[in-house]
Amino acid sequence: MRLRHQLIAALVFVAPFAVLLALWAVLVPYFDVNPRLFPHLGAVVEAGSEMIQDGTLFAHIGASLARVIVGTVLALIVAIPLGIAMGVSEAVSLFLTPLFRFFSVLAGIAWIPIATLWFGYGFGAITFVIFNAVFFIVAYNTLLGVASIPMPVRHAAASLGAGRAAMLTEVLLPGALPNIVTGIRTGLGFAWRGLIAAEMIATNVGLGYMLFVARDFYRTEVIVLGMIVIGVLWLLLDRLVLAPLERATIERWGMVQRA
Amino acid sequence: MKSLTLRNLSKTYFDLYAGTQVTAVHDVSLDVPAGEFVSIVGPSGCGKSTILNMIAGFIPITGGEILVGGAPVKGPGRDRGVVFQSFALFPWRTVLDNVAFGPKMRGIAKAEREQIAREYLALAKLSEAADRYPNELSGGMQQRVGVVRALANEPDVLLMDEPFASVDAQTRMTLQEELTRIWQEKKPTVVFITHDVSEAVFLANRVIALSRGRVLDEIAVELPRPRSWDALHEDAAFKALTGRVLQLVRSA
Amino acid sequence: MTALLKLWGGYLRLTARWPSIGSIVPFLPVIAAWWLVTALELFPRVFLPGPVEVAQSFVTLTYKGILPAYLQDSMVRLAVGAFWGIALGIPLGLLIGLSRRAHAVLWPLLLFFQAIGDIAWLPILVIWFGYGLVTMTFVIVYTVIFPVVLNTVLGVRTIHVNMYRAALSLGASRLRVLWEVVLPGALPNIVTGLRNGLGYGWRALIAAEIIVGTSGIGFLMFDARRAGSVVEIILGMIILGILWYIVDSWILAPIERATGQRWGMVMR
Repeated sequence: MRLRHQLIAALVFVAPFAVLLALWAVLVPYFDVNPRLFPHLGAVVEAGSEMIQDGTLFAHIGASLARVIVGTVLALIVAIPLGIAMGVSEAVSLFLTPLFRFFSVLAGIAWIPIATLWFGYGFGAITFVIFNAVFFIVAYNTLLGVASIPMPVRHAAASLGAGRAAMLTEVLLPGALPNIVTGIRTGLGFAWRGLIAAEMIATNVGLGYMLFVARDFYRTEVIVLGMIVIGVLWLLLDRLVLAPLERATIERWGMVQRA
Repeated sequence: MKSLTLRNLSKTYFDLYAGTQVTAVHDVSLDVPAGEFVSIVGPSGCGKSTILNMIAGFIPITGGEILVGGAPVKGPGRDRGVVFQSFALFPWRTVLDNVAFGPKMRGIAKAEREQIAREYLALAKLSEAADRYPNELSGGMQQRVGVVRALANEPDVLLMDEPFASVDAQTRMTLQEELTRIWQEKKPTVVFITHDVSEAVFLANRVIALSRGRVLDEIAVELPRPRSWDALHEDAAFKALTGRVLQLVRSA
Repeated sequence: MTALLKLWGGYLRLTARWPSIGSIVPFLPVIAAWWLVTALELFPRVFLPGPVEVAQSFVTLTYKGILPAYLQDSMVRLAVGAFWGIALGIPLGLLIGLSRRAHAVLWPLLLFFQAIGDIAWLPILVIWFGYGLVTMTFVIVYTVIFPVVLNTVLGVRTIHVNMYRAALSLGASRLRVLWEVVLPGALPNIVTGLRNGLGYGWRALIAAEIIVGTSGIGFLMFDARRAGSVVEIILGMIILGILWYIVDSWILAPIERATGQRWGMVMR
């Protein structure tokens, strides 16, 4: 019964896209749109299968995802402990909050020019932009998260015999987790945009590059293909990774969000 | 259960906003034998929470000493369990896991500590709530969890910081009666902080009246146990005692 | 130790009266550290110039009129894009929030197109409109519109049904209900959406200026990078940071507080 429900929900969700695709398939040839302006649906499908077969699509996707994963993982490894360390002391967190807020604001795209100067063109610069975007946002949100754990809760753990390590794993991390997850979601959003932007100017493989170079040759079918791939990838990331994470922590624990 | 002794306890600190040294507690001495229930009563700002925080080890002592079972204390620890006004349950853990937290810190194996937790939850009549999360419970239920969470860790002394202040009046009376029932069973050494005079008299063997950081007087409560509100509401002895304490506190 | 506490206490009292000081003081050690690192030449000057050089560049570029011109260009683009984003986003959000049918049809499309992201549109926009204000505006509108719509929908959703009932039973027409109940009721969320939208919006602006721009702060940074001149890049970043900090902290956040908190409405 539930499966039927889910199936129907999925169909309802997909329906507008089906309509859109149908319109595309019909209207574009009908109005004889110049393929240099907008591609036919068939052309996009063709380009897609071509790029899958010769492996270039996967090469681009792989490069983009590799940068995102490396940059994000590195950023999390540094940002979360740092955020916790800063958030634990009220005085320190009060003092550092404006600083991290400032850098959160700059996180990501604004660093592209200087990143290419420091690391040259390629993997390093782009991964740095991603690292940067995720790092500042997550560190800031972690700081806020730890600082928002009520003092009595920390006292309670201490009076129940929790040592330093236990305090970290049993109180500080879970307590800050909703904010950390929100930070990851926002940071990844900025990082993903930064990725595409950086790939347009700073490399020769990746989804952003694929889009940008296609523009030079007016290959709109590749551009539209790329846009769809980007959209689908982010949706997958959001629905399959981020949203469940948020649900499992924030909603389950009924914790109020602050940020 | 151990005894608790405060000897010439005092607390001065630097008030950041006033820019001066402030003395919150002046030379307080108190002897609580093992198994006794003591209430500390006083108006807001009289220093009672400060005293409790010092006993619990959450803030440093600036004068005098605190002894549990004859040994001085330093910092927070499982020998002094605390029940907080804001409940301070861990929202990311189930009720069962909250109560099992203390034993977990002691390194007790999972099966065993969950058994302990269930026993204590049964004591507080909360067995069905074991797998729920704190935010799914009412305030009164959360505080009962708070109480058994502290008790399950078998502290030498139980400290309660205005634990029923955040709960509605009816629930408060129920919780007070529950507390006396649980206390009858386990007989922990308890220091109970409150501003509510009748609550203090209802629960304790002895009531300490505090004002502006100084002990005004100690009053023994010789009412028979078990105590219930229905019985004591109109009881002459109870009213006399509350009247005496109230007068003390209000006159200072 | 007491001396330190006295100092910290004084700082707390100062920032309680003048909160802006609390926003500025933490940066002083950072600037000092920056100056020290560059004075000690821990990194080559080509990679990391000192604060003095950046300040000098600021003065020079302002004097030459370049900086104010670029700043103006960037701000105008952002303002135009934001305006259209709000003008289109709020009605759309209201529609989707109020109409089940509109929601069913448009919501999935919204999510997908938001996922594509503004920047991915740049190549095709350049083909359609070339390098100009239209492309820039489109990108910013695209970026701003989604948070505005999503938050407007959220705001509409959280209006208690009794508010509608109260208004209707007091004789309000459907249109009046829209104006008197729905809009004010959703306003705190709309402002939050605007705040988020602008946060994404100026990033999109910078990216667009970097990739396809011919003027503006983003272009300044990228052009400087091409010339290998670090100083202007850092100057651009600092200006962006300060600008957004000011706009967000001193304009948007107070508006958010003024509506949500003033009306006692719980927000997030």
